[in-house]
Amino acid sequence: MNLMTLQRYKNELIVLLALLFALSAFFYKLSQNSYVKENRTEISKKISEINTILTLKEQWGGKGLGSKVATLKTVVKSSKVQSFNKKSKKLIASYKELTGSELTKLTNKLINLPVQITNLNVQQRSKNKYTMEFTCKW
Amino acid sequence: MDKNNKRLFIHRDMKPVTLENSVEIILTPQFYTFIRETLEIRFAYQAKQIAASLFDDYLDHATEYQYHVNKCQDQWCFFAYNIEEIDQFLESVGIEKHRVSKIYFAQELESALAEPVLLSEQNILQTIDGTVTLIPRQLMENDMEFNQLNIANEKLSSGITMGASLNSFISLKETILLSSLLCILGAIFIVEGTRIKSSVANDEALVSELLKKHPRYDDSDFRMTLLNKYQPIKKHEISKRQTIKEISKLLSTKSQLINLTIDKKNIKATIKASDSNVAKQVTRNANAKKLKNSNSGLDVKVEKRI
Repeated sequence: MNLMTLQRYKNELIVLLALLFALSAFFYKLSQNSYVKENRTEISKKISEINTILTLKEQWGGKGLGSKVATLKTVVKSSKVQSFNKKSKKLIASYKELTGSELTKLTNKLINLPVQITNLNVQQRSKNKYTMEFTCKW
Repeated sequence: MDKNNKRLFIHRDMKPVTLENSVEIILTPQFYTFIRETLEIRFAYQAKQIAASLFDDYLDHATEYQYHVNKCQDQWCFFAYNIEEIDQFLESVGIEKHRVSKIYFAQELESALAEPVLLSEQNILQTIDGTVTLIPRQLMENDMEFNQLNIANEKLSSGITMGASLNSFISLKETILLSSLLCILGAIFIVEGTRIKSSVANDEALVSELLKKHPRYDDSDFRMTLLNKYQPIKKHEISKRQTIKEISKLLSTKSQLINLTIDKKNIKATIKASDSNVAKQVTRNANAKKLKNSNSGLDVKVEKRI
């Protein structure tokens, strides 16, 4: 294509270039659109998963739970604490001669702690006297 | 024309030439029609718009003409020419069109041609009443002296190119309009695309920040492992606590807890009612809370699978 032909179709070339620019821009927009469509769900899912893991880890295995669990020993009189074995991240405890209100207090305290109650056994020994045994871990 | 002369007069009775370099050609009036007008117009493009109508009475409507306009002193000079005709003639005298770098009109040499110039054996070129005219030599006196014009030294400014003379399918006005619209459209698309991309930028930044603190969480398998570990814990523990609360709501001064056990799969409790009505009430409440229950006298056993 020589210079003369280029000059003859100068107008058409300008329009063609502008058209190419508009088309490229359009495809750029389309590519961005599909990129966002593909990635938005994945990114949101990733954020949600990471946040959920962080929350769950903090809630069900956070630091400082050991000391909170230790407070279960002082909820009732020490004479009523039959055994209280806290090892690593596990607690085995048993209580005796608990009144109804003490049982309620101890149970509420236990269920309000973010620990896994693997075993619980409450037995009425006589009227308004209970024993309680439980095992929990975190 | 000598080898150094890059300009050439184009007239019908010129001899064929051989060119090695590009050349500027000066059209004699044989190849154009000239009109000079005094018009209240400021710009050349405005003058060009009315050029065709000015030549209406002078030109053959069957032929397609191109127009050139330039300002000459206080007037406008209009030229109408047929580029196809010029092109064909140039070819016939051995001038390839790609060799033609510029086309000028002899009218531009108005002053230089005040004295006659011998163009060929048959014709002379001279300005008559301000218009460069081709005159048959036979009309002139035999002993007439001709001016020796060196066209290479003449200042020519209002030239056109071969390509620009040929008609485009799209006019300049349409070109400007279309190109502007397309460019605006393109710019809108780019802005839109950038805006769309930036809509996830915040989320991407948040992910980067989280992964910077916890790089191991980038692995989806690792995340799933942790979720599979902690989500059941949450679900089971919440269920246990909820059930304990529901069982405690079954208790009253007339119904006492006999036992409560939690193991890996079940939560079981036995509640002793003070009379059969209370036992029925406990059963109804247990049913309402969707706790599996059974009666044995005044003892109501409730159970829930974790």
